Amino acid sequence: MADLKIEGLVKRFGEVRAVDDVSIHVADGEFVTLLGPSGCGKSTTLAAVAGLDRPDEGRITVGGKVYFDGTRGTYLPPESRGCGLVFQSYALWPHMTVADNVAFPLTLRKVKAAERKRRIAEVLALVEMEPYADRYPHMLSGGQQQRVALARTLVYQPSILLLDEPLSNLDAKLRDRARTWLAELRTRLGLTTIYVTHDQIEALSLSDRIVVMNSGRIAQLGTPQDIYERPADPFVADFIGTTNFLPAKVAGVAGGVATLELADGQRVEMAAERPPEAGARVTLAFRPEQMRVAAAGEGSGPEGSVIATRVLSKSYVGGRWQVALDLGGGPLRLEAETPPSGDEVRLWLPRSGCILFKGVTDVAA
Amino acid sequence: MSSTTAEPGAPAAPGRFPREIPIQYGMAALVVVLVAAPLVPILYQSFLTGALYDRDAQLTLGNFARLAQTEGFGTVLWNTFLLAALSTVVAQFFGTAAAILFGRTDLPGARVLGELFLWPIYLSALVLSFGWYSIYGPAGYVTLFWQSMFGEAPWNLYSIGGMAVIAGVSQAPLAYLYCLSSAGMTDPTLEEAARVSGSGTFRTLWRITLPLMMPAIAYSAVLNFTIGLELLSVPLIFGEPAGVTVLTTFLYNISATSPRPDHGLVATAAALMLVVIVFLVWLQGRLLGNTRRFVTLGGKATRPRPFRLGGLRWPFFAICVAYVVATGVAPVSMLVLRAFTSFLSPMIPLADVLTLENFEILWREPVYLRSITNSFIVSLVGAAGATALIGMIALIVHRSEFRFRNALHYTALFPRAIPGVVAGIGFFYAFALLPGLGGIRNSIWILVIAFTMRFIPTGLGAVAPMLLQVSPDLDRAARVQGADWWTTTRRIMAPLMRPALVACYTILFISFFKEYSTAIFLFAPGSEVIGTALLQTWVQGEVGVVAGLAAIQVVVIAVCITTARAIFGVKLHG
Repeated sequence: MADLKIEGLVKRFGEVRAVDDVSIHVADGEFVTLLGPSGCGKSTTLAAVAGLDRPDEGRITVGGKVYFDGTRGTYLPPESRGCGLVFQSYALWPHMTVADNVAFPLTLRKVKAAERKRRIAEVLALVEMEPYADRYPHMLSGGQQQRVALARTLVYQPSILLLDEPLSNLDAKLRDRARTWLAELRTRLGLTTIYVTHDQIEALSLSDRIVVMNSGRIAQLGTPQDIYERPADPFVADFIGTTNFLPAKVAGVAGGVATLELADGQRVEMAAERPPEAGARVTLAFRPEQMRVAAAGEGSGPEGSVIATRVLSKSYVGGRWQVALDLGGGPLRLEAETPPSGDEVRLWLPRSGCILFKGVTDVAA
Repeated sequence: MSSTTAEPGAPAAPGRFPREIPIQYGMAALVVVLVAAPLVPILYQSFLTGALYDRDAQLTLGNFARLAQTEGFGTVLWNTFLLAALSTVVAQFFGTAAAILFGRTDLPGARVLGELFLWPIYLSALVLSFGWYSIYGPAGYVTLFWQSMFGEAPWNLYSIGGMAVIAGVSQAPLAYLYCLSSAGMTDPTLEEAARVSGSGTFRTLWRITLPLMMPAIAYSAVLNFTIGLELLSVPLIFGEPAGVTVLTTFLYNISATSPRPDHGLVATAAALMLVVIVFLVWLQGRLLGNTRRFVTLGGKATRPRPFRLGGLRWPFFAICVAYVVATGVAPVSMLVLRAFTSFLSPMIPLADVLTLENFEILWREPVYLRSITNSFIVSLVGAAGATALIGMIALIVHRSEFRFRNALHYTALFPRAIPGVVAGIGFFYAFALLPGLGGIRNSIWILVIAFTMRFIPTGLGAVAPMLLQVSPDLDRAARVQGADWWTTTRRIMAPLMRPALVACYTILFISFFKEYSTAIFLFAPGSEVIGTALLQTWVQGEVGVVAGLAAIQVVVIAVCITTARAIFGVKLHG
């Protein structure tokens, strides 16, 4: 096992910089997720580590071994790297049985027959696929194929494990089960792992750290709590979870508390460590689950502020209601256990639950 | 994972010599040599005063002037153009009509008729010509029958018009296939929209369906025009006796049959032909665009609704049956029947003339038996070697990081632009130039080499689309796990490509088995194949023996196609 260092990675497709100056250091045994929408460069970054796609600039080293160095022209072909990659499509060879698929990397490493047999049995037991050793891939379900693909990668003990959206081809129920199983497995194996996904739940639940990518660049790099609770910019806030954005103006700052004036003149107070000066245009962001419907007669206090909104529509989504609200022309989303009665709703917003971004953001809530 | 012996994290192949480099460069060099071998000597010879192997020969531009001044050369060019153009018109007319009738209407028996319509594509134009001769020739069955009933027959195969019909009919399947696949890819809602807005069946066909087929019609027209220019068999059999010479027969006359060929003139005429065909093939590429060929459109669940012919169903059916019988079924059947008779005429009862004598001659005369065995060796062995070569080319072009893979692809497809006649002459010069290769020159292996070069594009056309359907993740997975390119090719790609290779082998076997135009410039006593024996025997007037040989060729190809379809499910077209 080894650590992975990516420094200043750049990959161009014509004029487009698919990966634009990306640097990540993954510690030995760490599980890091590359998260982002399609086309953000996460898969290209993974392909560069695996050696499937030659980057244009930068440097990739694993455990001190140089995989790629743009300035020196070093480029190891994929077969000389010793990575393990699980494909989104699983890429099981259709003309080989499960056992043959798993045996292939061992044969390449000239592992003796007896040892090979033992390791195949061991790894198939690990992924709970032992009874299926003699089946062909097309006879397996999607979830089973995914386990075989993982077994085929784990059997030769790769220096680092690369997973390219391994759960995305499974249906929703199976995906939950596979995620739990993968989480257990990762604790047992402790492999240095890069996991690529566009699914925030997978990213949040599996990772030690998450790299959120946006148009080829790193938008934020941090622990799941960091990313969710303290998003670095509106993109991250919008991409991870649901976020309400409201344009506002800083009305005043005192003792770590900023007072914001919303578009319709209502005021909201929030905790801010380094608030911009008074008069600055900002965007107020908060999660739907952080606000609640204010009790009758409840007003703004030191814990939070109360704002009045108008109800646009409400829909029952099973166990709770999603309510679309309007606040001075800006849309808001609220999740509540009981539907609001009447056209007006007063919301209570905690000081600590608000995030402030400089400038006016154009992210649609 | 508990215990292991191999070191964790070790790649399978640390710092090993990259084996793919010599393999890929070697294959590329082989293809370049193969394609350049016939071209370079022809171009060089066209600028020489004497023969290529003559030490005194000097560089000159005089050959071009001499060719232009050759008596009747203008007529030759005009005849060539006329034959190609007329046969294209015939082929496009029948091909397009068949595509609409068999592919888009509720014509009864459309599937079977469509299969029969394709017959000429599997047979050589040479065999089809013999078939037509035996029915519509001056002493043909139908001609004699007509004469006994109505007097002089109104048709004459020994004319440009007659030749154009034979050539057109043998090329119509190409137009049919292109139009059919275009019709299959067209969005059916376009036609449905026209019908919903009140347009009747025939108006919709004329105003919507046909215009949508125009790209396919245009592309296959250029293709058929090219084939018409290259055609040797039909003008050789029907044109020469009538004194109608085209470029291919002109080349044949001044080289293969001339006792003292004027090499400067031969090479210049061949070069001229090459330039024209290269231009036409380039035009085909422009018309088709490079990408569309391999684009697989998302599977449409609904097939276009067939047009209803209504009361015209059965009249159209009768016309189609008549066409298929008259152009394909009857000539081939008659040829086979002729093989089993001593003479065929509507005036003589069949029982009186039935005989196996033709086959006895084939069995008795070593030259015939040898041509049959040679054809089998050339086709069985040659197609195997060619399939291996083509498989490698396809893998390097589509599945490797080889630096010159695009150039290799272009080179490998270039033989499309080399007519069989030109390839034959070119290889003849190439082997005359290299003295060490005399042994190959008089053996069947020169044919194997020339045929292989000729049919690389055909084979690639069969392999590439199927290869492109194999997910690149499958070979990438092997690479990441530690297999280098060559191991991946052998262990992963080769097994996955098996259906493509079987299809390729089948198509090449048939192509090699029926090829004659390249061979007639290259064969020597001892290295005859069926195609060359057919032509020689025809010249000697042994019609029965020709029919026997042709029948063998037809049967072998039929068996080959049926087997490939039944056992391997090979798709040979479309």
